Amino acid sequence: MRRTLQRSLVIVVAGAAIGLVGNAVSPRGIAWLTPPPARWEAKDNVALDEAKQFWSSGAAVFLDARSPADYAAGHIANAFNLPAEKFDEHYPQVATMLAPDTRIVCYCDGVECDLSHHLVELLRQRGYTSVRILVNGWTSWHRAGYPTTKGTQP
Amino acid sequence: MRKAINLILRLIVGGVFIFAGIVKIWNVQVKTAHQGHDIAITVSASNVPDYGTFATDVTNYRVPPRALGNLVAITLPWIEVLAGALLVLGIWARPSALVIACLMIVFLLAIGQAVTRGLNINCGCFGTVEGRKVGLIALAEDAVLLAMAAWLAWREQD
Repeated sequence: MRRTLQRSLVIVVAGAAIGLVGNAVSPRGIAWLTPPPARWEAKDNVALDEAKQFWSSGAAVFLDARSPADYAAGHIANAFNLPAEKFDEHYPQVATMLAPDTRIVCYCDGVECDLSHHLVELLRQRGYTSVRILVNGWTSWHRAGYPTTKGTQP
Repeated sequence: MRKAINLILRLIVGGVFIFAGIVKIWNVQVKTAHQGHDIAITVSASNVPDYGTFATDVTNYRVPPRALGNLVAITLPWIEVLAGALLVLGIWARPSALVIACLMIVFLLAIGQAVTRGLNINCGCFGTVEGRKVGLIALAEDAVLLAMAAWLAWREQD
């Protein structure tokens, strides 16, 4: 039994060592430690009633950061789908509607959901200056009884 | 009879682990596109070790300490490949099976807590192949693999 444990340990250490070397020599190597998440501040969020005002007056473009399947199952009316996980694939279609200073509201679903945060980072990297998050967006919008729609179109 | 069963189990468990490790290391992506009645399947992979995608998947499980997510993503796939290869070859079969069984327990706990917390995240189990989310199917698969690996860790020779 003792020999089994020792050899198990050897396998783990050897595998880890190969991984570290592979990472070190790879041009796509990553840092050993995960960088801390971007710091989010209160001004990055938009409150539900403020978001509703933007929506009613057409003062903002709403972007749904969830998957196309979740989007099709129900989304905020007039919101466009820009899945954070497939950003590069969907961005070109959405980009035609956005100017650098367009007010953008991103949302996903659930307070734990960070797809909208990813999306905000990706959009800010591309120079959009007025991007904010509606936290727990789909659920809180839906619960408030605000306009929603189903399907693949906004 | 038992030898035959053990051989089959070794090939299955080892094969799955080699595959699971390789798709993570080289970020193998499989995409299916429907064009009318035809389904086009494209497979792409990085030509160098590319851990970024899997690192994101690991971090998304939100198991602290967060900072160690990258280290897990760098080391775990190679441990999987090595243990899987040894198991298939029948070299150090018992310790390899033990390593795999322990990993399966860790995976079950990680996926279990994600499902319990309602995280809608990529499994990362087979890299981005299938692009599967965590859920009961992933848990069931892992439970079966755990049972097979545990049997081998118990019954195989050193």
